Amino acid sequence: MLTSGKMKWLWLALAAVVLIALPQLITSSFAVDILIRILLFSFIGVAWNLMGGYAKQLSLGHSAYFGLGAYTSTIMQVNYGISPWIGMIAGGVVAMLASLPIGWLCFRLRGPYFTIATIATAQVLMLIFLKFRDFAWGAEGTTIPNLGSAPLMMQFEDKASYYYVILGLLVVGLWVTHLIERSWMGYYLVAIGEDEDAAEAIGVNAPKIKRDIYLISAFLTALAGTFYTQYIYFIDPATAFSFSVSIEAALVSIVGGIGTLWGPVIGTVLLETTSALLQSWLGSSVGGIQLTVYSVILIAVILWRPTGLIGVAREAYQRYFRRKPARV
Amino acid sequence: MVETLVQAVINGLLIGGIYALVSIGVTLIFGVVKIVNFAQGEFVMIGMYISFFLATQFGIDPLVSLVVSMPVLFVVGVLIQHFLIRRVLGPNDMPQIFLTFALSLLLLNLALMLFTANYRTVHTSYSDEALHFGGLYVPVAKLIAFGVAMALSGLLWLFLHTTDLGRAMRAASQNRDVAMLMGINPNRVFAVAFGAALALAGAAGSLLMPFYSAYPFVGQTFVLMAFVAVVLGTLGNVIGALVASLMMGVAESLGIQFVGADSGLIVVFAMLLLTLAFKPTGLGARRGR
Repeated sequence: MLTSGKMKWLWLALAAVVLIALPQLITSSFAVDILIRILLFSFIGVAWNLMGGYAKQLSLGHSAYFGLGAYTSTIMQVNYGISPWIGMIAGGVVAMLASLPIGWLCFRLRGPYFTIATIATAQVLMLIFLKFRDFAWGAEGTTIPNLGSAPLMMQFEDKASYYYVILGLLVVGLWVTHLIERSWMGYYLVAIGEDEDAAEAIGVNAPKIKRDIYLISAFLTALAGTFYTQYIYFIDPATAFSFSVSIEAALVSIVGGIGTLWGPVIGTVLLETTSALLQSWLGSSVGGIQLTVYSVILIAVILWRPTGLIGVAREAYQRYFRRKPARV
Repeated sequence: MVETLVQAVINGLLIGGIYALVSIGVTLIFGVVKIVNFAQGEFVMIGMYISFFLATQFGIDPLVSLVVSMPVLFVVGVLIQHFLIRRVLGPNDMPQIFLTFALSLLLLNLALMLFTANYRTVHTSYSDEALHFGGLYVPVAKLIAFGVAMALSGLLWLFLHTTDLGRAMRAASQNRDVAMLMGINPNRVFAVAFGAALALAGAAGSLLMPFYSAYPFVGQTFVLMAFVAVVLGTLGNVIGALVASLMMGVAESLGIQFVGADSGLIVVFAMLLLTLAFKPTGLGARRGR
């Protein structure tokens, strides 16, 4: 009989084998594209979840960091020929630096007004990139020169390589979340999320913890921005700072299970699969159908299962296996 | 130069009146029910489509269709409060924020599916009319909209200050728990607050229709303005929201006039960020709070 700890490693190993083999087994590039989208939004969701899920700082402005990451690496690549691998890290650092003043402003507000302030900051950044042509191509944006197969410039000829890059990022994101979840910081975050005043009363330095987690969350989100731009070979303010990135980051976490390690991944699998199915059934002719379905799912989750799909799964598991020895 | 300035201020005040209807709704809901209604802009959009269809199908003037859009949205508000919002009221922010946010997404995208992204306009006899004062001109449709908006705001103020129900709502917004202990029925007060706020949004929609296009995303502009105005005018403060909305209208108009046609939003966001940086409690805050 395997202990639950060993079982966990077995499952993880099995999952790793399946995930690594998947793009080799699937030949349809449409399907690989969907897998890449799932991994990408899982990763963005994981980054959002660190701050929005554990500390309940519900940002709807994460597109700010997605866009900053995308623009930093693209400017470095197109204007100076620097590899996006370096640009990616630089973008993360730029995002971290930007999160300091943005956090300083937005953390003055709590609850819904924090959310509104984050929306406003992301919009301001988009407007800045829209207005200043000399700075970064203005509203038209730019295409990224296609070098063919250039792994050192984060350009690949097959989609499978992009798949492995974003899979790697997601693993990093989950690993960071796992480490934080088990650390003193994780407990502080949950305490802040439960009741910020109470957390401060027992000695949690809430402003500092919130600032730190915002730095980490912004850094990770920026990495996703660089990856996405490299993947679609194009950047403009409307895609880089798209409000829908902010929305989806929050949505996948809430639907999957807010403040849990695997929640964002599970949420993304459900939402992106639904979206792909809808697209293949209806074509892209009917505008708005995707977000209509997303919002219905979101309303259903909020009203009936605020713990998300993870919560549903846990309840089912406990009901099904309740005769067995208690599992923690 | 002075004339341009005065003209810009007039334009700003006139559109500010519409912003005020939306902001007062947001601040009323925030004050009484203690949630932020992210979907407020979408109800402006619904008000506009109601007026648009009444105008095109039955030839009813958008200003007359106010008597349809307001009651319809009042009922919608009461129903939403009863069946959705009531279930998520509690200490936890997440369900409240994302329920109204999901509602906003849902209504917007339903509109996109049903009505497509096309711009719809209604042309009335007074759409192109304007009053001239020397070099200044005041578009009649906007003037009427402003006048009705101010009248409705005044009526709401009277309602909040002279009727029992209005006083109950103000009591609930000052201290919900004590108000409940005094025998105020929270569900009734919340339902009326939500209904009234949505009726104001519907009124804004109908008033806009003679000079503004209806399209699914139209509410987004107004709700952003309203959020900034509500922060600027102190959360939950009706007069504050009114004054801040007029200020925002003027600021936006001056931005468009003197900085550039697409800089209105930048001016508005700059105002929000400056408020947050220097006076996060808003201009209407009492000292010592």
